[in-house]
Amino acid sequence: MNASLISLEISVIGLGLVLMLADFFVPAERRRFIGYAAIAALGVLLVAGLSGNGSCSQFGTAFNGMFVNDALSLFFKRFFIVAAILVLFMAAEFSDRLAAGSIAEYYSLIVFALAGMLFAASSNDFTMLFVSIELITITFYVLVSFQRGKLQSLEAGVKYLILGALSSAFMVFGIALIWGTTGKLNFTELAAVAPQFADSKIFLLGVLFVLVGLGFKIAMFPFQIWAPDVYQGAPTPTTAFLAVGSKAAGFVLLLRVLFTAVPSVTHNWANLLIIISGITILYGNLCAIPQRNLKRLLGYSSIAHAGYLLLGVAALSASGQAAVLYYLAGYLFTVMAAFMVIALVLRHLATEDISGLAGLSQRSPLLAATMTIAMVSLAGIPPLAGFFGKFLLLKSVIETAQVTGNHGYYCLAFTALAGVIISLYYYFGVVRAIYWSKSATDLSPIELSAPAKVSIWVCIAGMFWLGLFPNMVLNFANEAAKVLGK
Amino acid sequence: MHVGLQHYLVVSFMLFSLGLLGVIMRRNLLVIYMSLELMLNAANLALVSFSRFNNKLDGQVLVFFIITVAAAEVAVGLALIVALYRKRQSAHVEDLTSMKL
Repeated sequence: MNASLISLEISVIGLGLVLMLADFFVPAERRRFIGYAAIAALGVLLVAGLSGNGSCSQFGTAFNGMFVNDALSLFFKRFFIVAAILVLFMAAEFSDRLAAGSIAEYYSLIVFALAGMLFAASSNDFTMLFVSIELITITFYVLVSFQRGKLQSLEAGVKYLILGALSSAFMVFGIALIWGTTGKLNFTELAAVAPQFADSKIFLLGVLFVLVGLGFKIAMFPFQIWAPDVYQGAPTPTTAFLAVGSKAAGFVLLLRVLFTAVPSVTHNWANLLIIISGITILYGNLCAIPQRNLKRLLGYSSIAHAGYLLLGVAALSASGQAAVLYYLAGYLFTVMAAFMVIALVLRHLATEDISGLAGLSQRSPLLAATMTIAMVSLAGIPPLAGFFGKFLLLKSVIETAQVTGNHGYYCLAFTALAGVIISLYYYFGVVRAIYWSKSATDLSPIELSAPAKVSIWVCIAGMFWLGLFPNMVLNFANEAAKVLGK
Repeated sequence: MHVGLQHYLVVSFMLFSLGLLGVIMRRNLLVIYMSLELMLNAANLALVSFSRFNNKLDGQVLVFFIITVAAAEVAVGLALIVALYRKRQSAHVEDLTSMKL
C-alpha cells in the first residue's frame, strides 16, 4: 500500500485543524485575515502538489483498492481546490455578516468539506463513497445554517438535514443490497461480476437507490426540491460552494458508479437517463422564470444545469463524459463570479431581490460587467465558457443518437435547446435590472477590497479562457474520461 | 421453523418502509428524525444479515462506518432542531414557511 497517495488529503485536513485552532490565538477582529493564510496554503498545495509532476499527482491505488489516484481524480482535485480558494475569498468578504469572531470556524468547515470532496474524487469503493459523501453533507448542514440568528438560514439547514439524511438512508440501503447480492464493494471488482446479476431485481433496486442518493447531491429531478430553499437561506459563500463543489462531487461519484462499477446496468438504463435529464432541464428553467430572489433564481438555474450535465452522462460515451468535466470547469468560474457579485452588492441590503441590483452599472461598472458576463455564460452565448460546454454536451448526445439510432436522444437535444431559449428570458431579466432599471435609489459607489478584485478578475479570466482557448482543459477532460471506460 | 436470510431481509425492508412512511406522514421534526434513524438501521440489519449468511465481514465493517456517521449526523441534526426551536418555538414542519417563491 502506498499511503503517500493520500498526502494531499492529509495536508488539507491538517490545514482545517490549524484553522480551527487559530481561533484561540487570533483576536476576533483579525480572524478574517486567517482566510488569506488558508488561501495561500491551498494555493501552495495546488501548485506544488497537483501540477504536472507534483508530489500528489502520481497515479496508483491505496487501501486495498478503495482509494485511487488517476487522471479523473486529478482533474477533480484541481477543480475542488480552485473552488475552495474562490469560496474562501468570498467568505472573507462575507465575514461581517456572520456572528462576531466565528469566521475562523467557517473557514475550517469549508476546508473540511473540501477534504470530503477530495476523498470523493478518489473513491473507488462504496465504503469510501459513503464516508466521503457524508463528510461533505454533514459539514454542509453546519455551513448552511451558519447564520444562526437568521431564521431563513436555520430553516434551510433543517430542510437540507432532513432531505439529506433521507437520501443517505436510501444510498446506504442501496449499498447494502448491492453488496448483499454481489459480495463486492470495490467498483473495479464489481464491474467484473455485475453482468451476472443483470436480472437480479434486488441488485437493480440497490443500484437505483444509490442513484437516488447521488441524484440528491446533484439536484436532479425528482430529488431537487431542497435546492431553491437551501440556496436562498444559506449564507452566500455556502451557496456558492454547494452549487459548485457539492454538485461536482456528486457528478464524479455518479460517473464512477455508472461507468466504472455497473456499466452493464447503465447501458440498459439509457432511456431512464434521457427522461431524467430532459425533465430536470425543463423543471429548472420553467420554475426559474417567476423568481424574484437572486439566490433562489440561481438555485433553480443550478437544477437546470444539473440537467445539462446529465446530457453528457446520458450520452454514455467518452466524449459525453469529457464534456461533463469541461462544462463543470466553466460552471465553476461562472457561478463563483455570480455569487461573488451577490455577496458584494447585497451586503448592506436586507433584500436579496433582483431589484437590489438596480443602478449597479453606475455604482460599480466592474461588478456590473462581471454579473453580465456570468449571466451570458450561464445562458450559453459565445464566446464564453458556458457556450462551449453546452456545445460539447449537445455534440456528444447527437453523436450517440447517430450511433445507436435511439430517437430519444434527438428529443433530448431538442429539449436542451428549448431549455436554453427559456433560460435567456430570466438571465436577461437580471442584466436588465443592472443596466436599465429606473428604480435605483442608492447610487453610492461600491468599494472593493483588493482580494475581492483579484478573485473577480480570476473568474472573468476563467470564463473567457475556457470559452476561447478550450484545448488545455479539454485535453485534461479527455484524459480523465479515458479512465472511466477501462 | 428455520429462520433464513429472507426473513431478516423482509424485516429489514419493513423497517425501511416504516421509516420512510414516518418521514412522509409525521409532522414533528424529532419524530421525522427518529424515522430517518430507523431507515439507517434497516440498512444495518440488511448488511449484518448478508454478512452472516454469506460468511463475509465487509458488511459488518461498513455497519461500523454507518453507525459512526449516523452519530455525527444526529449530533449536528439535534443541535439544528434545538436552534430552530429556540427561534421559532415550534418543531413542526408546517412552520417552516419563511421561504416561498
